[in-house]
Amino acid sequence: MSVVSIAAAFLLAAGLSAGSAGSSRAEQLKVELIPSSGNPAAPHTGDALAFRAVIRNDGRTPISGVIAWISLLEVDPGKEQPVDLEDWSAQRAASLPGIAPGQTAETEWRLRLIQSGSYRISVIAAAPGDAVDRNFSHVMSPFVAFTVASRPTVETGRMLPIASGVPLVIGAMLLWRSARGRGRPPVSKDAGN
Amino acid sequence: MTGLANGRSEVLVELRSVEAWRGGATILRDVSLTVRAGEIYGLIGPNGAGKTTTLAVVVGLLAPTAGGARTLGLDPLGQAEAVRARTGVMPERGGFYDWMSAFQYLAFFARLYGFDPPLVEIGERLAHVGLSAPPDQPIGTLSHGMRQRLGLARALINDPSLLVLDEPTGGLDPRGRREVHELLLTLSHKCGIGILMSTHILDDAERLCDRIGIIAGGVTVAEGAVPELAKMGRDLEAPEQGGGDRYRLRLADRGMQSASKRLPAGVSVLDGEGDWWTVALASEHPPEMVWRELMSLGWPIREIQRLDSRSTNSNLERLYLELTKHTERQRAA
Amino acid sequence: MQDAVSAGRRHGERSAPYQPLAFRGALIIAGKESGELLLSKRGLLWLLVMSLVLSGFALLLISNTELGLLENAQVVYDMVGLVTSLGALLTLVVGADAIGGEHERGSLVPLLLAPLPRSALLLGKLGGQLIAWSAMLGIALPYLWAVGSTGQNLAAGIACLIILGTPVVLTFGCLGVALGARLLSARSALTIGLVVLILAASPMILGPGLRRTAIGVAFDWVNPFSAVLNATDAVVIDSEPLLTQTVPFAIALAWMLIALWYARRSISRLTGSPQ
Repeated sequence: MSVVSIAAAFLLAAGLSAGSAGSSRAEQLKVELIPSSGNPAAPHTGDALAFRAVIRNDGRTPISGVIAWISLLEVDPGKEQPVDLEDWSAQRAASLPGIAPGQTAETEWRLRLIQSGSYRISVIAAAPGDAVDRNFSHVMSPFVAFTVASRPTVETGRMLPIASGVPLVIGAMLLWRSARGRGRPPVSKDAGN
Repeated sequence: MTGLANGRSEVLVELRSVEAWRGGATILRDVSLTVRAGEIYGLIGPNGAGKTTTLAVVVGLLAPTAGGARTLGLDPLGQAEAVRARTGVMPERGGFYDWMSAFQYLAFFARLYGFDPPLVEIGERLAHVGLSAPPDQPIGTLSHGMRQRLGLARALINDPSLLVLDEPTGGLDPRGRREVHELLLTLSHKCGIGILMSTHILDDAERLCDRIGIIAGGVTVAEGAVPELAKMGRDLEAPEQGGGDRYRLRLADRGMQSASKRLPAGVSVLDGEGDWWTVALASEHPPEMVWRELMSLGWPIREIQRLDSRSTNSNLERLYLELTKHTERQRAA
Repeated sequence: MQDAVSAGRRHGERSAPYQPLAFRGALIIAGKESGELLLSKRGLLWLLVMSLVLSGFALLLISNTELGLLENAQVVYDMVGLVTSLGALLTLVVGADAIGGEHERGSLVPLLLAPLPRSALLLGKLGGQLIAWSAMLGIALPYLWAVGSTGQNLAAGIACLIILGTPVVLTFGCLGVALGARLLSARSALTIGLVVLILAASPMILGPGLRRTAIGVAFDWVNPFSAVLNATDAVVIDSEPLLTQTVPFAIALAWMLIALWYARRSISRLTGSPQ
């Protein structure tokens, strides 16, 4: 074997090991997003969906500092966009404790359905570490799809009777009091001042 | 008019040289009065003299800045609730809850005083003051006089030992005034309630009161039984003006200018202008003899009008006017 | 006049010793106040006006039945703010009339002369305001249900309205009572009270930009209206638990206690005439 091929092999091995070291941290993690069995089959706006994220350490070394977050994507044709989760979920990122090799960590997510439409949701996990890692990467779960149907939030059938009925009832009470006061003529001075 | 009734002498109200401020001004400077059980005490004085302020001190609404005040033997301010429990008050300006009926109104105040009378009793109380409104008629539809009676009924709701009334007959017609007079006299002389009332109407004071206090400029200027004050008023009269009854004489023509102006004894001319002359007759001279004598002296008398039949009232009025004129002059200035 | 003699027949019969009425007297006065609001023409007219304002607001929504959930939550938030403002206005009016108005009508002095401590009088008047606010809530609940039952966090929003709105409206009620007692005029008390109310309610009309300035933030921190609005925002729109809103509740409660103290001091000086 020539010196060049030995050097190339050495460099290749070094590169592989470096890549393995960097990519092995991300590849250590496996992420899965599982919808709760109690989620409505046909959700509407105002409903809530629950998900459980399972992050598993498939590597041989413990991994710490794992951060998991969810990502929501609207996929309605013409309206494809990531969704700001500010109003959908109070919890956006979770810091997980260290995961031993072969162990899992779980976290719950609760999503309030604010707007109708078709969506894809996934959870992403990463272990950024303390130093800048050129091989830093993250792991994403497979997407879970769901569609939110709209629900009329103002029902005219309820509003009109109340908007007209409440003032009518009070107005009727007012008329009754007025009639009661007018029903008897004022007692004149001659009638026993 | 009686003096102390039935010998009751429990002092219900005692003010000694009371001074009081209100609205940044000294309203009372030196007010003293005493009200006893079973008597009616009248507080009279011109507008702004301090009558209402005096009543406010008595019932504990206003603290005196000097002097002493006792009501029912208690401190009207420090023991206000105990005083008010046994005092009935009728302010001059009576306001009511127009949406309530008279029955509801009395029932409300009865509960505030700690008892819950049945409807029948409330009806009786209203009837006692001459108020015959139907049970459900709103107060807003009652006349002024009936509201006045309702105020009196409210003042009596707790069967007080002391009644404090500010112009109790204001706005009432003569029959209504007479009925209120009867009620007050009964409450005082038969039931032993002490009544302190302020009034502008000297006739009421003369009819009702056992004793009167005249207040002017925040000072008690006179106090005493009605006959005593009337005597003081009579004594104020100038001798040349004569005493006794007064008459107005209408003479035949203006020839009176040239006629004799001699007067018989016991007759004095108070005023004269044109056909009408005002004369005063001494009480010991029968009027018929006086007219005959005047005509014999050349007085062409065509008509005679008697001006005053009660000498007491005119004397009381005279005293009142004399004692309060200084205050009125200050006000005019 | 019938039987003037019997007019005094009970004198002396009622010989039960005097017993202070305090709390019972307060209840009696509160009952009278509630009757004045709910049975008098003036009181019913006020309630009618309040309901018409809510109806107007609700009718504005009918044209837009496609509100998103957040927009619907915003509407519930706006309605809570509106009901609180109307409630504060109502209790301010009731409070100013409680002493100032009664003085102008001549009905105050007999009340002052009843054997009640002044604190009982104040409690009774506040009880009347509480009943006025309850009437206001009773009127508002159907509207809130119609607007928000298909949206989110309606129950929490109503709880916010009751728990935080009540001390805020009572603050203005106490202010009305205090001003009425000091000025002995309902009109003057109402004028000053309205200026204070408008100032306090200004966060409702200020934009978010102004509310984020240094003065805006400071004002927001101390303003009882802001306490209600911020808590409602958090609970109805951001879906935060109601129990996390202890700071806004403390602010609203503190203002109520201050106003109560001021009202108590003002009423204790009452003599029925200007001082």
